Amino acid sequence: MQLTVNGHQYEVHGEVGTTLAEALREELSLTGTKIACGEGHCGACTVLVDDEPVLSCITLVHAVDGARVTTIEGLRDHPMIDAFVRSDALQCGFCTPGQIVSAVALVESEPAPTTEQIRHAMAGNLCRCGAYPKIEEAIRTWQG
Amino acid sequence: MARLIRTEKEVEGRYEEVWLVVEEDSLDQWPAGPREVVGRDAVRVDGRERATGQAVYTADLAKPGMLHTAVLRSPHPRARVASIDLAPALAMPGVHAAIGPGDIEQLTSDCSFQGEAVAAVCADTLAHARTALRAIVCDFDVLEPLLDPDEAVRQGSLLGAARERSRGDYERGLAEADVVVEAEFRTQVVLHNSMETHQAVVEWIADGVEVHISTQYIWGIRDAVAQGLALPPDKVRIVCHYMGGGFGSKNGPDDYTFIAAELAKRTNRPVKCALTRREENTAAGNRNATIQRLTVGARSDGTLTALGGEFVNAVGWDGWSSGTEGPMQMLYACPNVKTTTYGAKLNLPPMKAFRAPGFVEGTFGLEALLDELATKLDLDPLELRRRNHTDATPDGSEYSGKNLLECYRRAEPHWERRHEVRARSTKTVKRGVGMASQIWYGGGGPPSYAWIRVGSDGRATVVTAMQDIGTGTKTAMAQIAAEELGIPLEHVTVTLGDSDRGPYAAISAGSSTTPSMGPAVRAAAADARRQIEDIAEQRGLKGAPVHEVVDVLEDSQILGKGARGPNPTGMQVLTFGVQVAEVAVDIETGEVWVERIAAVHDVGRVINPLGASSQIEGGIIQGIGHTLSEERLHDPATGRLLTTTLDAYKLPTIADVPEIVSELIDEPDAHLTNLGSKGLGEPPIIPTAAAIANAIRDATGADVRRLPISREEMLRALHEAEARQKEKVGAPAGV
Amino acid sequence: MELRRASSTTFDGLPVHGGTEVVPLLRAGLLRADTLVDIRGVVPRDISPGRIGAGATLAQLECDPGIPDVLREACRLAASPQLRNMGSLAGNLLQSTRCWYWRLNWPCRLHGGDECFAREGEHREHAIFANDYCASAHPSDVAAALLALDARLRTTAREFPLAELYGLPTEGDRRTTTLEPGEVILEVTFDECDQSVYLKAMERKRWAFPLVGVAAVRRGGETRVALAGVAPVPWLLSGELDSATPLPRNAYKVDVARALVKRARATIGA
Repeated sequence: MQLTVNGHQYEVHGEVGTTLAEALREELSLTGTKIACGEGHCGACTVLVDDEPVLSCITLVHAVDGARVTTIEGLRDHPMIDAFVRSDALQCGFCTPGQIVSAVALVESEPAPTTEQIRHAMAGNLCRCGAYPKIEEAIRTWQG
Repeated sequence: MARLIRTEKEVEGRYEEVWLVVEEDSLDQWPAGPREVVGRDAVRVDGRERATGQAVYTADLAKPGMLHTAVLRSPHPRARVASIDLAPALAMPGVHAAIGPGDIEQLTSDCSFQGEAVAAVCADTLAHARTALRAIVCDFDVLEPLLDPDEAVRQGSLLGAARERSRGDYERGLAEADVVVEAEFRTQVVLHNSMETHQAVVEWIADGVEVHISTQYIWGIRDAVAQGLALPPDKVRIVCHYMGGGFGSKNGPDDYTFIAAELAKRTNRPVKCALTRREENTAAGNRNATIQRLTVGARSDGTLTALGGEFVNAVGWDGWSSGTEGPMQMLYACPNVKTTTYGAKLNLPPMKAFRAPGFVEGTFGLEALLDELATKLDLDPLELRRRNHTDATPDGSEYSGKNLLECYRRAEPHWERRHEVRARSTKTVKRGVGMASQIWYGGGGPPSYAWIRVGSDGRATVVTAMQDIGTGTKTAMAQIAAEELGIPLEHVTVTLGDSDRGPYAAISAGSSTTPSMGPAVRAAAADARRQIEDIAEQRGLKGAPVHEVVDVLEDSQILGKGARGPNPTGMQVLTFGVQVAEVAVDIETGEVWVERIAAVHDVGRVINPLGASSQIEGGIIQGIGHTLSEERLHDPATGRLLTTTLDAYKLPTIADVPEIVSELIDEPDAHLTNLGSKGLGEPPIIPTAAAIANAIRDATGADVRRLPISREEMLRALHEAEARQKEKVGAPAGV
Repeated sequence: MELRRASSTTFDGLPVHGGTEVVPLLRAGLLRADTLVDIRGVVPRDISPGRIGAGATLAQLECDPGIPDVLREACRLAASPQLRNMGSLAGNLLQSTRCWYWRLNWPCRLHGGDECFAREGEHREHAIFANDYCASAHPSDVAAALLALDARLRTTAREFPLAELYGLPTEGDRRTTTLEPGEVILEVTFDECDQSVYLKAMERKRWAFPLVGVAAVRRGGETRVALAGVAPVPWLLSGELDSATPLPRNAYKVDVARALVKRARATIGA
């Protein structure tokens, strides 16, 4: 099947049942997308499918045939990256790509989100290090 | 000249005597306060790699030909493998090897806790390995597990002997008390849940082995792997450039490293063995549950006359009985203290260190007990703590530095808010403020080494085989080197994470990385600086910037080396602090909101205030999870675990975070190393639970004595307080 | 396993829409299928007053101003943002319990066994009504909202009140829904209401299943109250909470439900 990731077309050969996260990481070596729980509970695997944040670890890759997938690798030039670094919005960094994908989706639809909107939109991205206050700050100040 | 000394070393509150080679460390500490680089905010030097997903964690490593592993773990807390047949798994597609009980020490047929490894399969893909694992035919004889910690103590099923610690005359102290308060506190099992699960990739290369592993202790892994595989340590290379969280759980190689090593040997391929989230939450360690039966006696002015406690650490099948009694022994000036600590050996998964093990649990009990006492005495809780402050350690030795009174002073404005906070209560939502003190280790220690090289471009590279577990130590080391060399932070690179590429470095546990590594890095930078000054003198460039001095060096380089000196003898190196929590409690639904936490900690000199504030916030947020929502449950009849997935085990989300105000005393510890810095990883999680519990009491009058403070516990405590109140009101006059 | 795209609402295989429940259950071995059928192309997802295509996502519903408060709030407080982007309305109604024994595949009654492990074991998040056979709790916030709205479902086979989608498990039939194999929910309809509200108690502020969810809807002088998280199926409250039969460790849920029902009624002027 064909997979469109970050504007590039890829041929994917995985069996049915393979998840998008597995295909991205194992077939396409796009390891910026992390798998931390593998069952849709933590948000580390968040990617955009047609601009909406979804959990790639419970998305079947065959179900996104024809859709546009954006991963952290496609967001390297987004100002949100600098905002996270500037605000110290990451510690171990393992959940960070997923956090940034969710944050980008939020500010693309709401460029100046309120604290309440940030907390509502980011509640599906767990961070065990507890970088949350700085994540909130990064999103509040992402435009520099 | 190198000097060999015998010295005491402390990690996570446990002391051991070690031989140590030290080199003279003749540097004076920098004056207190922000310097050019040190003491100023610095963004993480590796922030971009992590944020963009370019950082390669062990989880991301894919070596050519690498095989993947699935591990069969006992589903039962206590069982014997009656029969096992690996052949059907070996016949499955993509499978390269399977190993079972007895093939290596880490695989057993005699299972004493759920999650103990029995067999393992490696295959081309993880999916193939998992499918093959299900084909293994394994029958267990299920045996009756021992699950109750008190029962274990009765039966003498203990890890080590009971620990008796006593000073003064406890009974006399009780007799002298005007008021005695007794209470039982219980804390739950909490899971580390590092976002990157425990994992390793092992490859045999020539006559040695290369291990990529998500770890907090590169050198400890090297020694343990060398010992386990009977190799000379220098034939073992350990690599960990980035790791996704540990919190105390990733100090050893565990079973998965040896499983991967054996399968790699048998297949002559690199093999990855990665735990799933469910395995992680079963077999990768936990903060053990505790039962604390505590007594405090005090005079009516609040002076403590006696503290006593029976502490039962529900350790699990293996691990150690952590210092849950530590805060009771160490925090106050009380002359008569008697504690007994048991480590109950149970058919439950082994504990591992988890961010201030013992002290988080023990501080909850002690500091909640003290507030119950304050209520009885009608004393201000902060004043009660001041009255029992001690300037000398209870055993009479000196503190290397202690600014707890200053912490209390700086906490005052936050504490003063309580009148205004309480006044915002409504009929159903009660608000209150509570506080708790913190004591912990965090001095680090030797040995630790660093090298540094400065090239003709004026840029420096610090080389040391340490690890950055997400705390930002890589950044702190770069700051220290830049400060000492007098060059911009951007001109310093730190390379770490590889035992073949740098000298020995300390474990990242026990809040020890910065206080252990920082002085070594500064010493190395100073060594290089002195050489640069010599060159400057020879070239008539005295006082010129580094890049001008080294400009003519071409391919020559300045090489510096440095070592961590010993800790001050005869002194206790400790960290202190206080937190003030503001909460709201819905007394009808039992919902608790933590609205604000102010934290003031004393950890000596602060290298990076920005990173330090992140550490404090992270500790507090983990503390909030520990206090309100996290609990590993097991089925009471069988002991099998029930909350190993992240829907059932509830970590805090961003929506659970209160306003956090953090402040550091930032006073260098004059007796500790060339930096005066202590560690900050653990202190912030220690007082959080007690501060919240005490705020709840302030708001509602309810004594919460069990973590987590779920709605069930909150409503129970409210009902109890209500009944107590009724009893009081209804009691006949004169009684 | 194969995955087909449905070209009509008649097909053989296991239907999957957002996949947020089916995919994890397949991977955990709690569901098995040779053929998955992606039904996103054939299930309507449009929203009009009083009518919602069953394929609408929770994310669509949580920000649609035309939706009654009770349903919008139930969607807003359900699951996580990513799951709300993925999960469909019908999928949410058909989700399984969060009972840990069931999720860990213990041989419990819902799995066809002869024991409810939760009753004697850990049941603090479990049912306080109709829990004598199986103490699992139904986790759907959305179902409680629609039950309070007295919504109707149209499927490929029939049209019926939402309440009839659910049935308590019995010795003879362990299912909790009445949907037949091959039957697909197409749309949900409900009448306008005067006022409505959804209140939810959970163990963290977001991204948790309901300990107790209370949906209340008022039309004129008539009020309907439905609860999530308190029984093996979404629970229409008739009478008061005194009829609850809590287990030793979940009696607190009765207190929580009582408080939230009182508040919900007050909010909608009932």
